[in-house]
Amino acid sequence: MAMLEVKNISKSFGGLKAMNDVSISVGQGEIVSVIGPNGAGKTTLFNLITGVYTPDTGDIKFEGSSIAGKKPNQIVDLGVARTFQNLRLFMNMTILENVLVSQHHKLKSNWLSALLRTPGYLAQEKAMREYAVEKLAFFGPRLQSFRLHQPVFVLSYANRRRTEMARAMATGAKLLLLDEPSAGMNPKETREITQIIRRMRDQGGYTILLVEHKMNLVGEISDRVVVLDYGQKIAEGSYQDVVNDPTVIEAYLGKKAEGKEETEVQKAAKMDGRTI
Amino acid sequence: MAVTSSRLDQNPQVVERTKTLAFQQNRGRNILLTLGTGLICILALWFLTGLGSAKLSQALALFAIWGVATVSLNLINGTLGILSLGHHGFMLIGGYTTALLILSDDARQRILDSGRSAMTETTVGLSVSNLFSSIGLGALTGDGSLWLRFLVAIFLGGVVAAIAGLIVGIPSLRLRGDYLAIVTFGFGEIIRLSASTRIFAPLTNGALGFAGVPSEFGKSVWWTFGFLAFTLFIISKLKYSSYGRAMESIREDEIASEAMGINLAYHKVLGFVISAFFAGIAGGLWVSWLGNARLDNFLFTLTFFFLVAISAGGTGSITGVLVGTALVIFVRQYGDPLEEIYAISRWLEFIGIILIIAGAAFLLFRSFNRSGKRLPNWAIWLFTASLFILLLGSPVFPGINLGKIGLYVFLIPFVIMPFLPNVGDKTKGVGWVVYALLGAGILTLLIGGISPGAGWLTGTFRGFGMRGIALAILLIVIMIFRPSGIVGRHEFTWSWLFREKLDEPTEEERKQDAWLTNPELNRAGGAANLEGSSEEGI
Repeated sequence: MAMLEVKNISKSFGGLKAMNDVSISVGQGEIVSVIGPNGAGKTTLFNLITGVYTPDTGDIKFEGSSIAGKKPNQIVDLGVARTFQNLRLFMNMTILENVLVSQHHKLKSNWLSALLRTPGYLAQEKAMREYAVEKLAFFGPRLQSFRLHQPVFVLSYANRRRTEMARAMATGAKLLLLDEPSAGMNPKETREITQIIRRMRDQGGYTILLVEHKMNLVGEISDRVVVLDYGQKIAEGSYQDVVNDPTVIEAYLGKKAEGKEETEVQKAAKMDGRTI
Repeated sequence: MAVTSSRLDQNPQVVERTKTLAFQQNRGRNILLTLGTGLICILALWFLTGLGSAKLSQALALFAIWGVATVSLNLINGTLGILSLGHHGFMLIGGYTTALLILSDDARQRILDSGRSAMTETTVGLSVSNLFSSIGLGALTGDGSLWLRFLVAIFLGGVVAAIAGLIVGIPSLRLRGDYLAIVTFGFGEIIRLSASTRIFAPLTNGALGFAGVPSEFGKSVWWTFGFLAFTLFIISKLKYSSYGRAMESIREDEIASEAMGINLAYHKVLGFVISAFFAGIAGGLWVSWLGNARLDNFLFTLTFFFLVAISAGGTGSITGVLVGTALVIFVRQYGDPLEEIYAISRWLEFIGIILIIAGAAFLLFRSFNRSGKRLPNWAIWLFTASLFILLLGSPVFPGINLGKIGLYVFLIPFVIMPFLPNVGDKTKGVGWVVYALLGAGILTLLIGGISPGAGWLTGTFRGFGMRGIALAILLIVIMIFRPSGIVGRHEFTWSWLFREKLDEPTEEERKQDAWLTNPELNRAGGAANLEGSSEEGI
């Protein structure tokens, strides 16, 4: 059985159909990429899965139970965590605190025993700190040691992205939704994050659903690729199949007019050796 | 390349930092220091009350009472990030509950005898004494155990206020920002206004209120500071627990907070309830300090002063809020010389001094900004302090005597400062502002000080409301030079005092960091390879 099953969900904002009858399933241990032009509904899909929006029709099942209509924090409790496209870190808190906040929902002590620092609470606090450092270690030594205690606002954009991924991992989720994990990173950092995402699956045991625009990253790590356009799923399959699909090429580059030469964009793309 | 990483792992400082993770670092030393400071505070209080000045004791007690209120309001405003304007309402509930529960028998009898009172036999009988009698603790209803009854009453007052906090907390789940601020303000006003209506008059004695509330607790430095210490203990422990972090994350970003599993509703309401509980405690102490419970002691201006204290001290910082409270209390309790009647010549001198100091301060700030150096902290404090002392003290300086001459001597360095070579040079383009300020200052001072007898200078003037103006000017100055308040967002901590900076890299770490981020130095790959991953670079 698939870990995440999105069944025929639709969502409209007024007259705009942001999501129209989309079905996606993600199996345990898979890395699935969602691609599509800007405005295709990728982030809306993430918002629907994580409970920010409620789908108008259809159902979302995580490990067999329906999560549609649940609150975002309840969905995190079940084991789905996300990162944001335009970074939503707790800017005035340190890296360590950021990664600790996301473990708060697992805390068993109530507020009074936390306030009185009971031994049970202190043990959990210690475990939380160790877990936080363990998750930050996925990104190498750059978020360790002195960086742990730096407020997020002094970090570089790439380090902020990494912190946000570590924060999502620390929720204890089984499924991670990464919204453009490599946005704002240079080619070298993108290659590195590609490796890290794969290691998150192989060593961390996370199942990953990601939205990405950088095709080399998508091609490198995806087990499956889902293509959205205007809120509809237009293709699904392996990376090679999907990028050679005429509907996908049309969605990205437009239709070739009847009897006309290839467009400039398509020519340029071919010359570059890119598939799209 | 893995060498770099393993060498770092052996660095004892780095190992220590990762192991302790800033939690409970140097815990023993910090506890000792805190206890030591507490002891010094107790000795200082003992000394200050021993001076025998009733005004000083009152001011200290008021500082502690308002401190309880501002620290608890700061939990909502600073930590949770919700602008709440209804704190006076919670204080009113706590205050009236405490007053009703510990009112003396004489006062109760007077209420019953009064024809205008709306209170009934039952409501007048609501007291801790009767509670004790009914559960067989009649021995504790004497005068000697009033303190115990007061403790019970103030605790119950806090609980009733906390229930009100629960009710106010619920709309906070649906509203954000300004809209929520309006709702909390509305709640505060509803509480205050409904207390005088016929529905609640049997409990609150309507517009008459309660007179004769025992004032030995609110006026006692020991009681009030005891409650302040209790509040500080609870609120700071909460702030530095996982729950406090969760509340701060709500302040930083509500959406992200919820997406990381934080139950917004629970934490917001928890914050409101705890804050309202301590507001109720502050209310109980406040009625005891005043000696009566009247509705016009719980106006919105109370919350307004708390907000001023919070913004001036540093929103979100407990220590900062205490500094802000001290400032507000100082102006409030010791600002009365400003509102007395003085000769116009005296006012002119006063204005002249302020102008000279302002000119010199402007110059100093400017020159330090231009030369790239920050104005040293002592200079900022000196300016604030001297401004403050002059603001409050100069009108009381006696006529022409040594004090005045001393004052003029004190001003000389400020006047000659712009002509000093290394300071004056840096004021290119703005020198005229300084000269204008100094010139105007000296002129006013001369007119006021040297020829006091002539013409229109003989009249007097009363600066009615000058206290408020002084506070407002102070707030403006703080907001311009330190927008985040005197202490700012951060707390005063022992590790800050000893410069134990966890976030500063060692030289080795700095090198490694550069190596990680600079492709010129690190062509092979990034952190992924450094971790000893089996995968090759792409």
